[in-house]
Amino acid sequence: MSVTHGASHHGVGASLPRREDQRHLQGRGEFVSDIKLSGTMEVAFVRSPHAHARIRSITAPAEARGRVFTAADLPRIKPIRVVTQATGAKSPAWPPLATDKARYVGEAIAACIAPTRGEAEDLANAVAVDYEVLTAVVDAPRDMRGSPALVHDHWGDNLFVERVVEGGDIDAAARAAEITVTREYRMNRQSGAPLEGRAVLAYRDHRLDEVVVYASTQTPHTVRVAIAEFLDIQERRIRVVAPDVGGGFGPKARLYPEEIILAALALQLDHPVRWVEDRSEHLTTSAHTRDHHYTVTAYADRQGKLLGIDTDIIVDAGAYGLWPQGPYQEANMAARTLPGPYTLANYRARTYTVATNKAPLGPYRGVGRPGATFAAERTIDEIARAVGRDPVEVRALNMIPPEQMPFTSVTGMRYDTGDYARCLRLCAELLDMPEVRARQAHGEMDGRLIGIGFASFTEQTAHGAAEFASRGAAIIPGFESCTARILTDGSMVLMVGIQSHGQGLETTLSQIAAEELGIDPERVSVRHGDTESTAFGFGTFASRSMVMSGGAVARASRMLREKLLKIGAHLLQCDPAEARCADGLVLGPRGSVSIAEIAKVAHLRMDGLPPGTDPLLDATATYEPGISTGVFSYATHGAVVAVDPETGFIELLDFAVAEDCGTMVNPMLVEAQIRGGVVQGIGTAFYEEIPYDEQGQPLAVTFADYLMPGAAELPAIKIGHLHTPATATEYGMKGMGEGGAVAPPAAIANAVRDALAPLGAEVNETPITPQRVMAAIRAARGD
Amino acid sequence: MSAIKLTLNGVAIADDVVPRLSLVDFLRERRNLTGTHLGCEHGVCGACTVLVDGEPARSCLILAVACDRHDIRTIEGFADDSVMAALRDSFHRLHGLQCGFCTPAMLITARDLIRRGKAGSEAEIRAGLAGNICRCTGYTNIVAAIAATARSLAGGNVA
Amino acid sequence: MKAAAVDYVRPGSLDEALALLARADVDARVLAGGQSLVAMMNLRVATPELLIDIARLPELRAVDEDADTVMFGACVTHAAIEDGLVADPSRGLMPTVAASLGYRAIRNRGTIGGSLALADPAAEWPAVLAALDGEAIVQGPQGRRSLNCAGFVTGIYETRLAAGEIITGLRVPRLSAGARWGYVKLARKSGEFAMSLAVAVHDPARHHARIVIGATDGAPLVLDEASLLCAGGRFDADAFRLAISADLDRAGDRQFETFHRDLHATSALRAIRQALA
Repeated sequence: MSVTHGASHHGVGASLPRREDQRHLQGRGEFVSDIKLSGTMEVAFVRSPHAHARIRSITAPAEARGRVFTAADLPRIKPIRVVTQATGAKSPAWPPLATDKARYVGEAIAACIAPTRGEAEDLANAVAVDYEVLTAVVDAPRDMRGSPALVHDHWGDNLFVERVVEGGDIDAAARAAEITVTREYRMNRQSGAPLEGRAVLAYRDHRLDEVVVYASTQTPHTVRVAIAEFLDIQERRIRVVAPDVGGGFGPKARLYPEEIILAALALQLDHPVRWVEDRSEHLTTSAHTRDHHYTVTAYADRQGKLLGIDTDIIVDAGAYGLWPQGPYQEANMAARTLPGPYTLANYRARTYTVATNKAPLGPYRGVGRPGATFAAERTIDEIARAVGRDPVEVRALNMIPPEQMPFTSVTGMRYDTGDYARCLRLCAELLDMPEVRARQAHGEMDGRLIGIGFASFTEQTAHGAAEFASRGAAIIPGFESCTARILTDGSMVLMVGIQSHGQGLETTLSQIAAEELGIDPERVSVRHGDTESTAFGFGTFASRSMVMSGGAVARASRMLREKLLKIGAHLLQCDPAEARCADGLVLGPRGSVSIAEIAKVAHLRMDGLPPGTDPLLDATATYEPGISTGVFSYATHGAVVAVDPETGFIELLDFAVAEDCGTMVNPMLVEAQIRGGVVQGIGTAFYEEIPYDEQGQPLAVTFADYLMPGAAELPAIKIGHLHTPATATEYGMKGMGEGGAVAPPAAIANAVRDALAPLGAEVNETPITPQRVMAAIRAARGD
Repeated sequence: MSAIKLTLNGVAIADDVVPRLSLVDFLRERRNLTGTHLGCEHGVCGACTVLVDGEPARSCLILAVACDRHDIRTIEGFADDSVMAALRDSFHRLHGLQCGFCTPAMLITARDLIRRGKAGSEAEIRAGLAGNICRCTGYTNIVAAIAATARSLAGGNVA
Repeated sequence: MKAAAVDYVRPGSLDEALALLARADVDARVLAGGQSLVAMMNLRVATPELLIDIARLPELRAVDEDADTVMFGACVTHAAIEDGLVADPSRGLMPTVAASLGYRAIRNRGTIGGSLALADPAAEWPAVLAALDGEAIVQGPQGRRSLNCAGFVTGIYETRLAAGEIITGLRVPRLSAGARWGYVKLARKSGEFAMSLAVAVHDPARHHARIVIGATDGAPLVLDEASLLCAGGRFDADAFRLAISADLDRAGDRQFETFHRDLHATSALRAIRQALA
């Protein structure tokens, strides 16, 4: 078998501009709300205005009979329930349309149908719901146990699950400690806020006897699994399509009630139905995220070497578990990643996943890692200050050296490859640390205080079956699939189970086919996001698509390559071992034949096939990395800030990322993913928050109150790369899509700490608002 | 229902609309021009930006009925516009888009910055993009694409 | 969210607009730029029955000047002021303020009169026009009258406009050659509503010194003692701190919590420093 790596200059490593650009630049993208089907009726929901209330009655206006649907009107809908193997976990039933109780502001009570959305909203406003308002559970640390108010009446408490993750001997570490640092940290609840909200368009296809559901989702195949289960229909009678999706970031990687409800309505009403989420609905009901509380006690020696970390982690998970994974992994991931890139031997994390009367919590770029990194990296800085050493040096002291790789952490994470300390120093270089220190010492004319801060982390990516099984997940997204098909003219289609919503996979996956087959990416189409045309796959999340789907594309492409070589060699009358693929051809010792010619033989002129070779050029493969415990990207982020100590306002002067994600298939796209993630992390650090009041009312439900970073608030983001290829993936790739969002809050909080060091003030909560900065300054002053 | 007459992407059209209908919904639902997107409906995110009488405006904050006797241009209406063509080329080469949802509005805003001579420096461009949210790109490549376009157009203008 | 059902009319003249507004049988609102009103309608926090579109009335978009004042039609847009397309009596203050307001696409439609009439507590024009000693010309069923901008806004979304009245123009006195001003807007994001807003104008030739703070969760606040001190023309930071503090104490209808009080005091001082130092 001949080796054909680098069969194309458009292959792995090429910064190819993207195929998907053209339609978007022309305004010809096709998002769910762009799809027009005649006869479509619009849906608006009656949503609970109360965080916690019994529903006594729902009365629709008489003239609206047949256009208002409550749970009772859609009896085929079964409640959503997450199945989890996590020990001791509670899993509430979640009726997509509320039945006896509303458990968060915005929970859907009834669906209203009208020719336009405005009229549907008019109808929703005319539906009278009689509520008995109950006390809302809003404070996770306070209300998790012993609260008279229960989100789920039969639970006895408000805990989804509690779990301890530990290793080594934390009590021994405590006894041996020369330095003890204790802090509380809080990462506040926020939204993922993709620019396109959710949307569902559903209709019955009579010819194919199926219900077709267009959804703005990252995971179409699993949405199909859910619709089949919760509407009790065979999967063969359901098609789910995620067309263009305007950002996902995690919140669209979960099932939502609206998807089930719209499918049920389509089946019942026999005309298309459409629901397009508006921004207030999104900020109120689409998965919320982050919302972690940490108490951390760290033990160290006089040099700053970590001896142990003991932490309590509380996750405010909202009222229900989002299918399929529920809220259990958030605290679990935080607990397992908090030890970071350090040689920590003694650890205990007590985690509490709490039910509250708030919107359900879901995954968002980084999931549990941003909170854990915030807690760990702020703590490392405090240890450094306690021992009087530079935080960069204390990090380097504790980092796992490359010669100890692969390294299994105290929480059982198997770090595969990497040089963490070198990455840390690269980041400091990118920010020109000596220059920053000089500027800091010199002082600013306007009285602002300069600070520099860092945060280091590892990112588990493309983890497979073993990892998800260890989390107690009921659905194991352990592989991806690809069907690679060469058509009769030699052009190619890759059908994949992931869903590209900005990651550029229509381009990068074609680069992999180019790498393996020497086919021009211009002759390759990538089909994704449609259960009709792709074998089962899990979707795009968990920084997995390039490794998993790319791996499946590579395998399927190689299967086709083998067949191309066989047929091509036969046509060239040579031995397959003498043939290779390059530049759209199969090349032999005495000539070449194009893929197109081979394809013609394989389909239209099968008389030309070698004996024993079947027609068609069609291959389906699955892929899971050789290590299913994941491959670990890693990075250090650094921030330079100027803090105005009179107002609390902060300017981000500089930001750098030093990272290692192994082999990059398309470096231009990788850098853009990093920057996009970093800006979302900056959003978490400075702006994004959905506070809830004591009655459980969300207080940021429009973009007037929910702020996100704009271009004017940001410096250029510097990036430096290390390249340590993974050993267990195709081409040595590692996933990297989320990393950018993991460390900015920690790096920025450390920079603010550094800036305010003369005042002794710390901010240990995100977002770092002017109010919180001034409160910290006043607290340090003893006001 | 109110009768309206307006110029849409260079073509005179007439239609009947209910007063509550926003311009963006008129464009998307009645005229099948879905390149203009809705991200918030409160005028903050900028995804709905179109040109009204040649100037960028939020189509979510304008009623269709108020556009009677006005000139509207959407992303679908720049086929012969050389600045837009240059911007599209730069955005493509420099990877200035990811999910594509903010892109039509970004292009219209960028074109306006260049037209008004407000794309001379990175800081100026960033300030000019304040009203266009992007959640995917982190803005770096968008700013670079606009700067590159402005430079290439300025270079091409021989005095 | 989509706006509730509404009727719409575009009158051909100001008189026609006033007659429509005077009808008692319908809940009518004037529509100028719509950048605030339509946003509120989209959220259904405003549900008028009739919109009277005055945005294009030529008499409301005209700008007239004489030796001492500039009269801006109420429907002059922020962008026109930002771009210097209209006369500037404020020696750069008004264009600077206009450029800081929202985003360009908003500024292309939003109007100075509309901003004053809405009286959003965080809006810029109410405070700036008060500092410049501008006058609002309003017209209604009882005829025409002129109201000083310094007392025009009386509370959150509350003004001295009577039922049926429309702001038709803003008359702003010209600052003299030796006048100085300071403007501080603190917001976390470009274009966002202000968290703190302070305007200082010192025009010794006209014996005019006024410090106004906005974004105080109420009407713009004229800082009388600080204004008096400003008239002296000397920047003494400590003296101003005391005066500002006294003024904030005297704002009896408002309870400032510590953070906001300190922020307003800091903004005011910085605006005064810009004007005097």
